[in-house]
Amino acid sequence: MTNPLDREAVPESQNPLGIDGIEFIEFATSKPQAMGGVLETMGFRPIARHRSREVELYRQGPMNIIVNAQPADVPRTVQPSERPIISAFAIRVRDADAAYRRALELGAWEIPVRAKAMELNIPAIHGVGESLIYFVDRYDEFSIYDIDFRAIPKVDPHPPASGGLHFFGIVQYIGADRTADWVEFYSQIFGFKPLPDKVRFGIMPKGLLLQSPCHGFYLQLIEPDDPARYAPSEEHLQRVGFGTPDVLATVAMLESRGIEFVSSERVQTNERGALTKPTLGSVMFELVHDEPAGAAARR
Amino acid sequence: MIFNDFGMDTASLAGSLESKLAAVRRAGFAQVMIAAGDVVGHPAGIDAGVRAVRASGLRVTGLEALRDFEGLDARLHAYKVDVAKSMLEVCSAIGGRMLIVEASTSTHAAAEPGAIVRDLRTLAILAIPLGIRIAFKGVSWSRTVKDFVAAGDLVLRADCPNLGLAIDAFDVLAADVPLTDLDAIDPEQVFLVQLSDYMWQEIRSSEEQATTATHFRVFPGEGAHSDGLADFITKLDEIGYCGDYSFDVYNDDYLQMPPETVAARAQRAAEWLGETVLRRALPIPNVERLRRATRG
Repeated sequence: MTNPLDREAVPESQNPLGIDGIEFIEFATSKPQAMGGVLETMGFRPIARHRSREVELYRQGPMNIIVNAQPADVPRTVQPSERPIISAFAIRVRDADAAYRRALELGAWEIPVRAKAMELNIPAIHGVGESLIYFVDRYDEFSIYDIDFRAIPKVDPHPPASGGLHFFGIVQYIGADRTADWVEFYSQIFGFKPLPDKVRFGIMPKGLLLQSPCHGFYLQLIEPDDPARYAPSEEHLQRVGFGTPDVLATVAMLESRGIEFVSSERVQTNERGALTKPTLGSVMFELVHDEPAGAAARR
Repeated sequence: MIFNDFGMDTASLAGSLESKLAAVRRAGFAQVMIAAGDVVGHPAGIDAGVRAVRASGLRVTGLEALRDFEGLDARLHAYKVDVAKSMLEVCSAIGGRMLIVEASTSTHAAAEPGAIVRDLRTLAILAIPLGIRIAFKGVSWSRTVKDFVAAGDLVLRADCPNLGLAIDAFDVLAADVPLTDLDAIDPEQVFLVQLSDYMWQEIRSSEEQATTATHFRVFPGEGAHSDGLADFITKLDEIGYCGDYSFDVYNDDYLQMPPETVAARAQRAAEWLGETVLRRALPIPNVERLRRATRG
């Protein structure tokens, strides 16, 4: 939208919701143990289980991943199947309820209150495809997991990150000619900003990058390739990107644990990034060179 | 012959949804505009209506029509947002990519452009996750958005990528809108053009226009304004419009005739338009996108 004052410098809030990174990313699958195995190889540790649902919390360093095997009871949400699917991500905000109400006013779809996928009392809206976006404001002294989750006994609740891994972003596959729509959605509701084409991270340069207003993470929108352009295509969250200060060392460490990386003519591990081979039919992770301190400093 | 650019409207036809779709298909059309009532009012339930549309093999031009949406106060607005969400879900279920939104004719609606723009933006954002475009249409008896010039101005101000215009030829002909008004319109902003004609030479009042619009429209080539319609379409082609043309013919007589007979009239209209006005006789798959790509 054209700013009526676009010829003058008028500072406005760059971060109206007080966004402060990703609180968790959720995978839905009917085979939670297999997914858990993959996560453990990537350095995550199971630290808590949901009190009443088949939901587990994995953690390493600053990252929380939730593995949800509970059949969904909300229309247009991911139904757990053998292939794990990224079913939600949670954004840290200053005031979750205010952020949620603002999103609804702007045209977001609410998730029915009583049917929250995890019974967590946190507001959520529909995102791309069948995915959800949560708003979380309790992440400092007191966390959402304290209420709904029971810690696994004798497990370090704060396992350190291997290779300095931290959330870098999420890759979203979208339909043909849909980039402008999704840019509008994320900039309107969350204050994301599209980055110029010359700004690139990692080794997977396609699509358009959106930067969060806290500068702490990115969404990468990717339209189908030309031959597939006019076939009807699903939209979904495709993969999670992890930042690491030393890609080559982290790749070597993960390879020693059995993680395989894509090595083809077009995609090769190098100091900028790496891409894991798909496992369990659909799960892949991307590594991107990024200092964890950098992520914090950019906020 | 298949006329990729032209589609019929289920509101032009009598009978069950299935027989309407079959008639459209048999007449050689590849797309159809679905009146929401035909799906949700299916005697075997909405799921059966959705299945019928999906099984028809016809591409869905769009779903019509959300009315009196914009400019309402908070309580009415919340109600209309629910209506809009329900229509978006139906549109998505039938594989539709466009919702037709007619400008409010309600006396309860604010005429203040800022409020209308804000509501149109909300609607467009609601439609984004479902991959649906919003085609906003002026209505000649609306207090605020009478024609495509006024609608285009609001769409421009709302500035949302999935928000555009539906232009109804009837309104252009009936109100004698100068074709040069189209020069101010960005063709990318036009999502749909609706075509129809009518029998009277002239329309004397806005009441008569409203009645004619809802009961006495005929297919292109059948009415008294073939030349005007041809000029209108030629002009759209000139400014670079490359989207769909939908026959939005609302006619009480046609609702008392077999759908096949009415569809045959629509077929003649498409032939007349394709071969004499637009010379688009050769069907090409994905013709809309290809033309858009060549224009680049």
